[in-house]
Amino acid sequence: MTTRPLARPWPAPLQRYAPWAVVAGLFALAAVWPADAAQFPAAWNLGLRAPIDEFQSAVIANRETIPVFQYFFDPLSDLIDVGLRWAEDFLLATPWIGVVGTGALLGYLLGGTRLALLGGLSPVITGLFGLWEPTLQTLALMIVAVGLAVLIGLPLGVLAAASDRVDRALRPVLDGMQTMPTFVYLIPVLLVFGIARVPAVVATLIYAVPPMIRLTSLGLREVSPPALEAARAFGSTRWQLLVKVQLPLALPAIMAGVNQTIMMALSMIVIAALIGAGGLGREVLVSLQRLQVGKALEAGLAIVLLAIVLDRLSEGLSRIDLTDLGRALLAPAAPRWLPARWEPAWLAAARVLRRAAAMPAQWLAALTRRPEIERYAGLVNLGLAVLALVLVDLLFNVGTFPESWRWYLRQPTDALVLWLRDNVFEIQLGALTVGTGPLSDFVTLYLLNPLRSLFTTFLPWPVVVLGAAALGGWAGGGRLALLAGAGVFAIGLLGMWPFAMDTLSQILVTMLITCLIALPLGVWSSQNNAVRDFLRPVLDFLQTIPSFVFLVPVIMLFNIGRVPGLIAAVLYAIAPGVKLTDLGIRGVAGEAVEAAHAFGATRAQTLAGVQVPMALASILLGVNQMIMMVLAMVVIAGMVGGAGLGLEAVNGLVRSETGRGLEAGLAIVLLAVTMDRITQAWAARRQG
Amino acid sequence: MTPGHTANASTPAKIAGRDIWKIFGRTPERVLERLTPEQTSAQILEQTGHMVAVRQVSFDVRAGETFVVMGLSGSGKSTLVRCLCRLTDPTRGAVLIDGQDLLQLAEAELRAVRRHKLAMVFQNFGLFPHRRVIDNVAYGLEVRGVKRAERLERARQMIELVGLRGWDQHFPKQLSGGMQQRVGLARALAVDPEIVLFDEPFSALDPLIRREMQDELLRLQATMHKTSVFITHDFAEALKLGDRVAIMRNGQFVQVGTPEELVLNPANDYVAAFTKDAPRGKVVSAAAIMTPCPPGFDPDGQPAVRADARLEDCLALVAAHDGPVCVRDEAGALAGLVDRLSVMKALIAA
Ligand SMILES: Nc1ncnc2c1ncn2[C@@H]1O[C@H](COP(=O)(O)OP(=O)(O)OP(=O)(O)O)[C@@H](O)[C@H]1O
Ligand SMILES: [Mg+2]
Repeated sequence: MTTRPLARPWPAPLQRYAPWAVVAGLFALAAVWPADAAQFPAAWNLGLRAPIDEFQSAVIANRETIPVFQYFFDPLSDLIDVGLRWAEDFLLATPWIGVVGTGALLGYLLGGTRLALLGGLSPVITGLFGLWEPTLQTLALMIVAVGLAVLIGLPLGVLAAASDRVDRALRPVLDGMQTMPTFVYLIPVLLVFGIARVPAVVATLIYAVPPMIRLTSLGLREVSPPALEAARAFGSTRWQLLVKVQLPLALPAIMAGVNQTIMMALSMIVIAALIGAGGLGREVLVSLQRLQVGKALEAGLAIVLLAIVLDRLSEGLSRIDLTDLGRALLAPAAPRWLPARWEPAWLAAARVLRRAAAMPAQWLAALTRRPEIERYAGLVNLGLAVLALVLVDLLFNVGTFPESWRWYLRQPTDALVLWLRDNVFEIQLGALTVGTGPLSDFVTLYLLNPLRSLFTTFLPWPVVVLGAAALGGWAGGGRLALLAGAGVFAIGLLGMWPFAMDTLSQILVTMLITCLIALPLGVWSSQNNAVRDFLRPVLDFLQTIPSFVFLVPVIMLFNIGRVPGLIAAVLYAIAPGVKLTDLGIRGVAGEAVEAAHAFGATRAQTLAGVQVPMALASILLGVNQMIMMVLAMVVIAGMVGGAGLGLEAVNGLVRSETGRGLEAGLAIVLLAVTMDRITQAWAARRQG
Repeated sequence: MTPGHTANASTPAKIAGRDIWKIFGRTPERVLERLTPEQTSAQILEQTGHMVAVRQVSFDVRAGETFVVMGLSGSGKSTLVRCLCRLTDPTRGAVLIDGQDLLQLAEAELRAVRRHKLAMVFQNFGLFPHRRVIDNVAYGLEVRGVKRAERLERARQMIELVGLRGWDQHFPKQLSGGMQQRVGLARALAVDPEIVLFDEPFSALDPLIRREMQDELLRLQATMHKTSVFITHDFAEALKLGDRVAIMRNGQFVQVGTPEELVLNPANDYVAAFTKDAPRGKVVSAAAIMTPCPPGFDPDGQPAVRADARLEDCLALVAAHDGPVCVRDEAGALAGLVDRLSVMKALIAA
């Protein structure tokens, strides 16, 4: 590994040994530093907590008289509240077959038979779980939050595309919004929009709006210049240019933005429930608190189903040509399973159906004398179908999902967890006790505890600060050294030193375990297509299922403490590590590999000598992603016994000790930014 | 556009370019101020990093005339034609349309000119992929605010005019290149512009289709007489379509003239290199090579050709007739003589 010259090139031996000298110096400093001054001096605490709390009480006490609240935030949150209520009432008042039918129809229009099945069956399954109402509440929240995100993101995206200045100004803000742990703004949002479920909507919105802005801007900027030029040459106004040419051409990118926004919003469901969102997130949280594994799993599955359906539907939306809806509906090719001799019959039936389905639109076109309506047969039929469903409901009074239809997963799941607890928690193998209980103890005693004492008692604070700076300097040069050192130092100033060191030790152990699992899996998957094909859905599942759902069984199997959070974080973070390792190795140029083979290298030699080193940048990006995901889990881990910064943040949130929560949140951000920049610089260095 | 139809020289210029300059780079105005006439564009590029794409070009295009600008790749043709509708703003100079300087116009006035007077056909077609053929063709009318039924009706007529009947509900990507450019042509004609700018409209088409499109254009132009500026890098195309042709090189006009003038009197070796292989029989007229009548020549009973007849069209006659052939002007008066030898000499450019 070569060290890049920082400011000016050092002599080669210096370059080589400088890192070791720094490490040695740090150890020396640790040795001579007085043991009783290892902790960050308490006197240096900035004391942000008290003024923030005072500010909060002042705001709460005088809410009605402060103009910003009176005339801006309160009306705004009232508005959002009304929208949310309206969406919820509407969805809940829709007869259940209406919801199922709409899901199936949309699925059919946007993706064909399979998506129709998925869109129709998913609501039924959630109904069978007894989660009809929470699911629709969550859907309502999604609709409002995503709707607002589109409403805000689209114009901002247009502005960012039109002006480089706006683009430059927005970029760091969006970066910040995406890397900042959500908890940081949960508290201010709670303070500002303190009415009912509005803060949850706003927090979801903040988290979910960046991709909408980014992809809108990207899509608009990539509209092909010839079309734009032609439009200008024919004398279009800027508005005409935007509406008639740019936006339609950018539509696929914009729809991809909507899709991303939906996925981001979905990943906020449980966190939003922490500040009163209700719906499925609350179901997960409550079941978690009561250690009801089965119920939590059901709610988690309902979230996953919702996520998959919304993902596929919105993805379909980005592919479909709105003017072609009729054709999508009416040109079904004979399915593969159909015997050949039935094909003519199928096609004839399809023809009849097609003619029948085109009729309403033709009729409407004739009635209104607008021939172009004929093109929108699909939309017309969709409207008719919805109308028909409403009629059916009025006639037969279908109402909400029937109470008597239930099919639970919770009993078998709970039984399984109990069985596991009885049979896996402790297994006596001769003199040796193995099982999840002892494993948990082992990780705690031999990994977590030593590392924590290393950071909290053995390593004095200046060594940690300087160590961070040295790491930053090694990875990215002088500026990063300054940033890393200052970041860690600031954590001390916030008064969060011991909590942060505890959290840091957990993060490092989590990362170690994650890398030990993810990187070999990634290498294996890159060498073997069967492995990759098997892993892909598993990884997707791990990334979409709310992490809270693994927590329950994990807690039961591993006891409350730092280990369950660690395991949940490992499960959550593995996916990008495996994916990026696989991607990186597969991306190594074929010539390099062939050259290695030509020199007679074995497969293992090629892998170790050529592919892995060449893929290192991509692998390091995977590591970076993993760190960010582990950091996102810090708060969740804190709730189930992980303590550290996470617990501080949660406590601040639920006990509404804003100052404390904010300090902890800021410390998490500082930790996140520092680790993010260092790993990114490291990855970039490998690339360059 | 047909060689026979040359606008009357006395009509005022429909389009006039006056000292048009276009320099690409960070500070084009400053570079232009400091520039001396001796500096070549290559030197300027090397010294300042600025690209002089159009260099002091002046010309007049008369109403109804087809003015062709021919030059090799990178000679600045596109830049020039884009200056004519201000898709790029010239660094210096004036573009007069009906005597009105385009560069002095405010945004809204410029838009009005673009909507009502100008239309453009692009090399890469510049069609809107998300619109059906008919909506592509109707676009110019749409932005002008013409009512839907009316503009679709007009668009349908134009689609028929360019021979695409029945294709109006298709999307551009479902059409072949030649058909797409027919849509581009229909879109330009739909707004009934006074001026059509063509930027290498047929360069992306294969030779057979290109010929077909050229003939199509000649056919349309024979009835419509639009004032056109036509860009091409194909000299044969320039000769075929142009009433007058400008040869462009390194941002400057090397020579401007009728195809016949260029072929008979190339201004320098550069132009001569193009004219060498020109189809002279199609370009040179009888009037250009005729010799005066010897005194006492009796034209009665002798075969005759018109003065503006191309040599190609005289061939059959001179081949069949051993003696001289009379050349008569439009009034029918005897103007001169041609014979087998003079025609053959002119054809092989001796
Ligand atoms: N936007 C621009 N910025 C910088 N240089 C440009 C720009 N547009 C054109 N040029 C340069 O100006 C010169 C003339 O370009 P132009 O497109 O007018 O040539 P052209 O004659 O149309 O060539 P072609 O036959 O390839 O279309 C070229 O050297 C080109 O590189
Ligand atoms: Mg060009």
